[in-house]
Amino acid sequence: MSDSSEDTALARGSKGHIPGEAGIWLLIAGDLLMFSVLFVIFLVYRAGDLTVFQAGHARLNQTWGLVNTILMLSSSWLVATAIQAARRQMRRVVVACFGLALLCGLGFIVVKVFEYNEKIRADLTLTTNDFFMLYFSYTGIHLIHVVIGMGVLTTLMLYSRSGNFAPAKLRNLESGASFWHLVDLLWIVLFALLYLVGAK
Amino acid sequence: MTPSTGTTTGPEQYLARDVAVAKLLAWSGIALVISLVITQGFLMGFIPPPSPNLSAEELAQIFIDRKIGIRIGSLIQCICYSFWGTWAISIVVCMRRMERGIPVVTYASIANAGGAWVFFLLMPITWAMIAFRPESMDPKFIQIMNDYVWFIFILSWPPFAIFMVLIATAIFRDHNLPTIYPRWVAFFNLWCAVLITPAGLIEFVKTGPFAYDGAISFWFIYIVFFGWIMVMSFVTLNTLKRTALQAAA
Amino acid sequence: MKALLLSRVTAVWALLIIATTLSWQLGHGAGFDDARQAGAAILVVTFIKVRLVMRDFMEIRHAPRWMRLIGDAWIVLITVLLVGLFLKTGT
Repeated sequence: MSDSSEDTALARGSKGHIPGEAGIWLLIAGDLLMFSVLFVIFLVYRAGDLTVFQAGHARLNQTWGLVNTILMLSSSWLVATAIQAARRQMRRVVVACFGLALLCGLGFIVVKVFEYNEKIRADLTLTTNDFFMLYFSYTGIHLIHVVIGMGVLTTLMLYSRSGNFAPAKLRNLESGASFWHLVDLLWIVLFALLYLVGAK
Repeated sequence: MTPSTGTTTGPEQYLARDVAVAKLLAWSGIALVISLVITQGFLMGFIPPPSPNLSAEELAQIFIDRKIGIRIGSLIQCICYSFWGTWAISIVVCMRRMERGIPVVTYASIANAGGAWVFFLLMPITWAMIAFRPESMDPKFIQIMNDYVWFIFILSWPPFAIFMVLIATAIFRDHNLPTIYPRWVAFFNLWCAVLITPAGLIEFVKTGPFAYDGAISFWFIYIVFFGWIMVMSFVTLNTLKRTALQAAA
Repeated sequence: MKALLLSRVTAVWALLIIATTLSWQLGHGAGFDDARQAGAAILVVTFIKVRLVMRDFMEIRHAPRWMRLIGDAWIVLITVLLVGLFLKTGT
C-alpha cells in the first residue's frame, strides 16, 4: 500500500506540495463553503418538518443513489490514477483513464435523468414540498458541477494526448483533477444526506 | 489640456493620466456598492426583499408606507447603478493589456458591460413607478411590478456570470510576466460565476432558501455578487497602481 | 502498469466502496435499532469518506501543513454541526 518513492518525490522538503495551482483551491474552498451552508439548511428544514422529510426520504430510489455514488467514486479513482500515470509519463494510460472517467460522468448524468423522470412522473416536483424542493435544487446544482467537470475532463483528455508531462503540464492536470474530486466529494455528502440518513 | 514641460512629455505621461482616469472608474464600482447599502438597505428597507409569499394588500401597504424613502432611494440608484458601465470598463482596460493579436475577449466584455447596466437601471425605475401613486394603484398590479423588480435583479445573472468567465479567460491567456492580475483572480471569478447560477431557481419557488428572499437566492448571491464587485475594484486599483509605477520607472 | 494499479489510490478506492456499502447497510437498519443512531453513524462514515477523498485523491496528504489543518478543521466542524443538528431533531 505504501508508495515510498512517490511520497518522497512529492514531499519536496518540509514545505509540501500544493496540488495544482494555488488559485484552484480558492475555488474549491469557496464551493465547499457554499455547500456547507446548503447542508446545514437541509437539516434545519428537516427539523422544521420531520414527517414531510421522512416521507420524502422514503420515496427516493436509493438504488439510483448507490449506483451514482459508485460511478462518482470510480471516476474519481480513474482521475487520480491518470495523474499518477502522467507522473510516470504513461501517455496512453492517462488518456484512457480520463476517457473512462468521462464515461462514468456520463453514466451519472444518464442515471440522474432517469431518476428525475421517475420523480416527475410520480408527480414529485420542485414545488411538491420542502423536501423535494431541496432535493431537486441541491442535486440540480450538483449536476451543473458534473457538467462543468466533464468539460474540464474533456479538456484534460485532449491536453494529455501530446504527452510530455513536464512540471507545468502536471500542475495544470492536477488543477483540473482537483475540481473533479470536489464534485465527487460533494456527491458523497449529498448521497448520505438525501438518500441514507433518517429514512425509515 | 496642454502638456506642461517639454522634457517630460512622452507616452509615459499620457499613460499616467489614463491610469488616473481608470482608477476613478474602478472607484465608481465601490460607490455603486455603498449606494446600494444606503438606498436599498436604509432608505427602502428592501434588504432582504419583502417575501414573495405576502398578499398583494400587505405588499401595497409597504409601498404606501415607504414611498418617500423609495422615491429618494431610486433617484440615487439611477445615478449610482449607471456606474456598472464605468466600473466594468476599468477591468476591461486591464484585460486589453492581457491580450495579443485580436482582442476578442476585450470586445466581448465591452459589449457585455454595455448591456448589463440596463438590468441595473430597470430596478430603480420600476420601484420609482410603483412609489409614484401606490395608493390608487391596484395592489395586484403592485405585486406584479414588485415581482418584476426582483426577477430583473436576480434572474439577470447570466450576462454577469459571462463577464466573470471572460475575466478568467483573459487572465488565463495573459502573456505578461508577471501577469496583469494575479492568477487567483481568475479562479475567484470562476467561483463567483458558479455560485450565482442557483439564481435561476427563483422562478420555481415562493418560499425557502431559493425563493427571491431566501438564504441562497438572496443573501448568499447578494453577498457574493457585491463582494465580487468590491474585490475586483481593489484588485483593479492595485493593478493600475503597479502599471503607473512601471511606466514611471 | 502493475505498480499503477496496486497503488495507494486503488486501495483508497476499495476502502471507499466498502465504506459506501457499510453506510448503505446502516441506512437499512443494520447495526442500530434506533434510526437516530444509525443516521449519526452514517454521517460520521460519510465524512471519513470525505477525508479519504481529500487526503488521497486530492493529494492534500502531501500539501503544506496549513492546508491539511484547514481541511481537517472543516471536516471536524461540519461533521459536528451536521450530526448535532441531526440528533437534535429526533425521529
